[in-house]
Amino acid sequence: MSNNIEEIRTRIKQIIANVAGLNASRITDDATLRDELKLDSLSLLEIGVDVDLAFKLELPDERYKEVDSVPAMVDLVQQRLGELAPQPQAVQG
Amino acid sequence: MKTRIAVTGIGLVTPIGAGRQEVWEGLLAGRSGFAPVESFDTKAFSVHLGAEVRGFDPAPWVRRHDPASMGRASLLAIAAARQALEDAGLDSESVEPERAGVAMGTTSGEPREVERFDDRFLAGELDQVGPEFLSLYPCHMIAAHVARELGFAGVNTMIPTACAAGNYAIAHAVDVLRAGRADLMLAGGADAFSRITYTGFARLGAIAPERCQPFDRNRKGMIPGEGAAVLVLEPLERARARGARVYAELAGYGLSCDAHHMTAAHPEGDGAARAMERALADSGAAPGDVSYISAHGTGTPTNDRLETLAVKRVFGAAAGRTPMSSIKSMIGHTMGAASAIEAAVCALAVAEDRIPPTMNLEEPEDDLDYVPNTARGHRVDLAMNNAYAFGGNNASVILRKCEA
Amino acid sequence: MASDHDRRVVITGAGVLSAIADSAAGLHAALCQGKSGLKPIELFSTEGLGCHQAGEIRPFEPRDYLGERNLRPIDRTSRLLLVAAGQALAAAGWTPEALAAGENEVGLVLGTTFCSVRTIAEFDRRGLQLGPSYASPFDFANSVINAAAGQAAIWFGLRGLNTTISAGESSGLAAIGYATGQIRGGRAAAVLAGGVEELCFESFVGHYRAGRLCGSHGESEEVPVPFHPRRNGFALAEGAALLMLEDAEAAAARGVPVLAEVRGHGGAFAPRRTREDGAGAVARAILVALEDAGLGPGDVDCLSVSASGSVESDLWEAVGIATALGPRAADLPVAAIKAQLGEALGASGGLQAVALLGTLRDGMLPGVAGLAEPAADIPLRGAGAENRRVRARWALATSLSADGHASAVILGAPGAASGVGG
Repeated sequence: MSNNIEEIRTRIKQIIANVAGLNASRITDDATLRDELKLDSLSLLEIGVDVDLAFKLELPDERYKEVDSVPAMVDLVQQRLGELAPQPQAVQG
Repeated sequence: MKTRIAVTGIGLVTPIGAGRQEVWEGLLAGRSGFAPVESFDTKAFSVHLGAEVRGFDPAPWVRRHDPASMGRASLLAIAAARQALEDAGLDSESVEPERAGVAMGTTSGEPREVERFDDRFLAGELDQVGPEFLSLYPCHMIAAHVARELGFAGVNTMIPTACAAGNYAIAHAVDVLRAGRADLMLAGGADAFSRITYTGFARLGAIAPERCQPFDRNRKGMIPGEGAAVLVLEPLERARARGARVYAELAGYGLSCDAHHMTAAHPEGDGAARAMERALADSGAAPGDVSYISAHGTGTPTNDRLETLAVKRVFGAAAGRTPMSSIKSMIGHTMGAASAIEAAVCALAVAEDRIPPTMNLEEPEDDLDYVPNTARGHRVDLAMNNAYAFGGNNASVILRKCEA
Repeated sequence: MASDHDRRVVITGAGVLSAIADSAAGLHAALCQGKSGLKPIELFSTEGLGCHQAGEIRPFEPRDYLGERNLRPIDRTSRLLLVAAGQALAAAGWTPEALAAGENEVGLVLGTTFCSVRTIAEFDRRGLQLGPSYASPFDFANSVINAAAGQAAIWFGLRGLNTTISAGESSGLAAIGYATGQIRGGRAAAVLAGGVEELCFESFVGHYRAGRLCGSHGESEEVPVPFHPRRNGFALAEGAALLMLEDAEAAAARGVPVLAEVRGHGGAFAPRRTREDGAGAVARAILVALEDAGLGPGDVDCLSVSASGSVESDLWEAVGIATALGPRAADLPVAAIKAQLGEALGASGGLQAVALLGTLRDGMLPGVAGLAEPAADIPLRGAGAENRRVRARWALATSLSADGHASAVILGAPGAASGVGG
């Protein structure tokens, strides 16, 4: 999966839209999950599971509990993908 | 004038033992039923503790049928049912079958049968699924199996209202008896340990990694368990006529529905409070009359906080002086059996004037009397048993000391 | 048996979603027209199995009924229920405003065999395949057997009595009996009562392997026709059906029309899978219901049976009815709606009750589609394919589940009670 931020944001919005029963186009780039989208604790958990699965992040629940907005989720995913990316090999000699 | 209903027999199969005496003494001694889960591999989980019923042998209890023809919850239920009948001094042969009924509660029924189905499904072996799926799995089979074992042909009801189911079943049995539709009712609940249930609670982040500490400031969650409890209920008049020992009277009950959230309680304890108030009204009692509360007390941060809040709402000034303990601190959350086990505990508390502790309580989060760590002698005239379930089902049952 | 009531329980609305109709009036009309909901299954593959038909609800577009609110957390079982519940509430004049008003509490007593065994199984399978940390939280919330009742309570704000009853095919009538008892006992004033069941692969395979479905013994012919001489099992089905039950005085105060009355109910169990026990349980349930209703066997004008094409249960139910009602049972008009709807398990009792409302209103009882003449040993000779005109004052609905639960409910036409002696 590319680290392209646009693709990440789009995918995240799709996941949130699916869980919230909304059209993805109705989710703004800076939407907050609890306040604006009125998502309850169960929905947030479901989103965390779906995001983790979609991006293969293998993060514990606690990391997702800190996320309350689309930008925060995008940051989390980007950062984690960066951590998981294969490190460049040191050149010998 | 409502018919007075007596509890004349108790049967218990729990993670700390089986039989009324063993379990009651174990609870009073603070015995723990927690151990690493044995019935399936928890390697893929971040939690590993459970409250399983170990070494359960159905053979002494299942006398008319092949135990292999029943799911685990049914076996536990039959064991508790037969114990309860014997405890009541009754013989299933001498009971009039058409006037004897069964009301049981459960959360999941027989989930291991779905697990077996799914194991085959995923292995591409669906042709291995036989007639046993339908004869074992549906939750109504628990009540059916109890009645088949005992030959009871009266009212037969399964009330799967999750973690409040035992109370719902007991309440229904009371109604059936009061309406004169039965002379004897076995009422209780049963649930079997399963990976489905464990996976679910783990997925919600609800399972405590090391200890179950209801009402403690540092509590981390519940610990799933399994078990069964059955009470023998009959009109007090009939109990007296046959010289039965009466543990307590069923004074009344109250039911409510949060209609708020599937897995989280109402944030102001609204449904819980209404169930308690209705139970009190049904019993003709005031909050100050309650001597002891058996709490739902799962050990999750949310439940225990909201439960305390609801008790304070209903009991007001009396809250601080009404001892309330959670036996889930010892036997875990036995799901549909929980409130039935707790109702039995209330009956015993009333009969013997002793109350079980909340174990593992080091720093109470609030100022109620949670009976920390040590059982207590305490006059119990009225005991209230509270239970709250997924789907917002709440039920409170009140037991009363039976005066001569 | 002591009477457990001073209060009368009336029916002020009904809601239905079934393979042949999505309204109470539509159900009665479709039954009387002989419409069948049994069709080749599309919801899942039946490859390798010898039965291919079911009472599947198709098409089912929940949005047509439920609007734009989020349905993602709600599984098929709960969606079916929401449709029926919404109809019943609306029919009885329970607007969203009325429901939200503080003092009004409408309840729900729901019969179901499985709730959603499909959701439970899918939750389990996903956890197995992907690991427990990827199991679906939404699915777990829907994996308790009281989930549908909880979802409906949340959706509509039903803060009253809320219970789930499981008694297999008898769940629906048992739920109606339970709700009636609660209203009479003054614990509730308005309660939706009935049942729901979803058609799913897990349930289908289970019933097939248990030999309960028509064609599940390798026969070439599938005859899911109640009382038929060559019947060989039922066709599984799905549906949701609810009555709005209310305390009669409370309903009068609300000024809503009364469709019928729940006059009596009874339940019993058959500990052994024998004709003696099965028929005996049905007979006892009926006699308890009659006594509860203050009626005698001679007061029953028509029957709605749970017979479905089951080789044994159909016979045992019929024998039990004849035992309870005596020789006149032979001529009573009989509706056996599973001939057209199939066996909808937890929803069946509700479907039976809702269908009877039409009969109590217009005096027409639907015939048993596909039944030229009942098998010789069936004592209910009044069962046949033709619709019958009935003087419908008191209708008896009965149920005998495959696992031994027997239920009976007596419905009365509005005003029927005033003509009854002691």
